[in-house]
Amino acid sequence: MIEAQALSKRYGAKAAVDAVSFTVHPGKVTGFLGPNGAGKSTTMRMIVGLDLPSGGRVTVNGRPYAQHRAPLREVGALLDAKAVHTKRSAYNHLRAMAATHGIPNSRVKEVIELTGLGPVAKKRVGGFSLGMGQRLGIAAALLGDPHTVILDEPVNGLDPEGVQWVRHLARGLASEGRTVFLSSHLMSEMALTADHLIVIGRGRIIADAPIQSIIDGQGRARVRVRADRPQDLLGSLAGEGVTSQVLEPELIEITGVDARRIAEVALRERVLVYELTPLQVSLEDAYMQLTQTEVEYHSHDLPAVGQTTAPVEGR
Amino acid sequence: MATSISPAPAQQRPRQPSTTGSGVTFGRVLRSEWIKVTTVPSTVILIASTVVVMVGLAALFAWSLTIMAQSINDPSVPAEFQAPTEGPGSAAFQALTTPSSGLVFGQLLIASLAVVLIASEWATGMIRSTMVAVPKRTPALLAKAVIVAVVAFLVGFASAFLSYLIAQLILQSENLDFALTEDGVFASVINTGTFLALVAVISMSIGILLRNTAGGVVTAVGIFFVLPIIVQLISGLADWIPDAARFLPADAGTQMVAVTTADEALTQWEGGLVMGAWALVLLVVALITAKKRDV
Repeated sequence: MIEAQALSKRYGAKAAVDAVSFTVHPGKVTGFLGPNGAGKSTTMRMIVGLDLPSGGRVTVNGRPYAQHRAPLREVGALLDAKAVHTKRSAYNHLRAMAATHGIPNSRVKEVIELTGLGPVAKKRVGGFSLGMGQRLGIAAALLGDPHTVILDEPVNGLDPEGVQWVRHLARGLASEGRTVFLSSHLMSEMALTADHLIVIGRGRIIADAPIQSIIDGQGRARVRVRADRPQDLLGSLAGEGVTSQVLEPELIEITGVDARRIAEVALRERVLVYELTPLQVSLEDAYMQLTQTEVEYHSHDLPAVGQTTAPVEGR
Repeated sequence: MATSISPAPAQQRPRQPSTTGSGVTFGRVLRSEWIKVTTVPSTVILIASTVVVMVGLAALFAWSLTIMAQSINDPSVPAEFQAPTEGPGSAAFQALTTPSSGLVFGQLLIASLAVVLIASEWATGMIRSTMVAVPKRTPALLAKAVIVAVVAFLVGFASAFLSYLIAQLILQSENLDFALTEDGVFASVINTGTFLALVAVISMSIGILLRNTAGGVVTAVGIFFVLPIIVQLISGLADWIPDAARFLPADAGTQMVAVTTADEALTQWEGGLVMGAWALVLLVVALITAKKRDV
C-alpha cells in the first residue's frame, strides 16, 4: 500500500510534482501513466526516499520508506536500470545489496534464475544491453521478496519475450496480494497489464480510476455508420456538436452522439442505415484526451497528407 | 485496441509485515561495503600497487642513504659537500624515517582511491541502489568510510613494516640498520597507517561533497600535495603563514609520522589530533550534506 498526501516536488519555481494525493492498493497492478516529464519518476523517487519532498508526505505500508527497519523487504524498486557500478558483476552487485539486509546468497541466486540472468551473472554490468540491465534492476527489486513492487518503465529496452515476462510477473505479484505500481508512457502496455490507472500530467493527477472506467468514461462516443445518404444524416446532426469523418461515400464515423441518437435522427430523416456500430474508445485515445492539455512537450503534426481519405474503389 | 483487459486477481493473500531479524544493521552494511570494495578489480589493483610503490620508494631512499654514508667515508669528496655524521641531517638519523618514506606518493594513491570509491557511485548511478537499500544514508556512507579507513591503515602499516624490513637489508652494508624498538620507530610505523586512514576519511568526505571523481581527486591532491608547496613559497610574506601552515592536514600529518619532532613544531600527538580534527569535521559535514540532498 502506497499513500501519497499532497506530495510535491519543486525545483526552483517549477513544480515537477504538484500536491498529488493517491493511494496504490495491494492485490492489483496500478499503472502510473503520463507523458515524458509528467512527474512519474520524481514521484517514484520520493516514494523510496531518493528525492526529499518539498511538501506533503508519502508512506509505504504505513510509514515513510526510510523508517522501515528492512526497507528492501517492504519495497522493491526498479527506478533506473543504470543504478549499478559498471565494473562489478551482476552477481556481486546483488550480493552487496542483499548483504545490507542479511539476505542469503541463495536468494540472490533465486532472483538471478527468476530474471533469466544466469548466463551473464558473472559478467561485468558495464557490458550489459539495456534489456539485461532492466532484468538486473528487476532482480534487485525482488531481492527482499517485498510486499510492494515499484517499477519505473520496466519494459524499456526489453525484447517482446521480455515484455511479456514483465507483464506476467506484474500480474503474478499482484495476484499474490502484493502492491504493484508500474509506470509507463505507453498506454497500450497499461491496457494489457494494469487493473487500475493513475494518470499524471504536468505534475498533477488527471485521473485515478479502474482502467475500464477510464476507457468508458473519458472517450467520447464514436459510432461507425453506413447509410445511403450520410450527408443528410450529418446535416440533421449538425446542431448537436458532432464531428465526423467520411471514410467512404456511404461510410462515416460520427463522434459526439451515441448510436441510439443517430438511429432516431435517421428514422426521422428517412435515411437508410445499414450499419450502426459503436466503437470502443481505445485506452490510447482516452489517454490522449486526458493529457491533451497537460503535455509539456508538444509535437507538431507534419502537414496533413490525405487527411480525408479518398473514396476507395467499391468493395 | 484495448481489447484484452486482464481479469481482476482471483484471490488476495495479504502478506504479514516482515518479522524482526531481517533488517538493516550497521554490521550488515559494513559487510555490504566490504563486498563492494573487493568486487571492483581496479580497486584491488590500486590497493596492491600502493603497497608496491610505498615499499619501492622506501628501498630507494634507503639505498640513497647508503650512498650518502659512503661519501662521508670517501676522502675525495670535499668536506663542505659531506653530509653531517650525526644530528638531524645525518644518514643514521634519516635512516630512522625510511619506514614512512613512501608516504609522499602513498598518500596521493590512497586519497585517489578514497575519492574514486565514493564518487564512482555517483558516476555510475550505484549510489541510487545504495541509498534505496540503506535509505537512512548515514550508515552506508559511514560504513564505507570505516572500510576505506581500515584498508588505508592496513596498507600504510603493512607498507611501513615491509619498508622497514627491506630497508634493513640495504642499510646493513653501511651499518645504518636499526631496531624497531628504537625510540619513536614503531610508533612511526603504526602512524604511517593512521595517517593514511585519516587521509582516506578526508578524501572520501571531499568525494561525498563533490560527487565527482575528477574534481574530488584534484581537490584531495591539492590539499595534500600542492597546498604545502604553495604555503612554502609564500611563507616569507607574513609571519602568521608558517604558524597557520602547521595546522594544515599535510603538515600536521608529517609531524604525526615523524620519529622525532623539533621543539617549535607540533608533536606526533598534536599532529595526529589536528589531522583527526580535519577528518572528523569534514566527515560530519559530508554526512549531513548527503542526508539532506537528493540522490
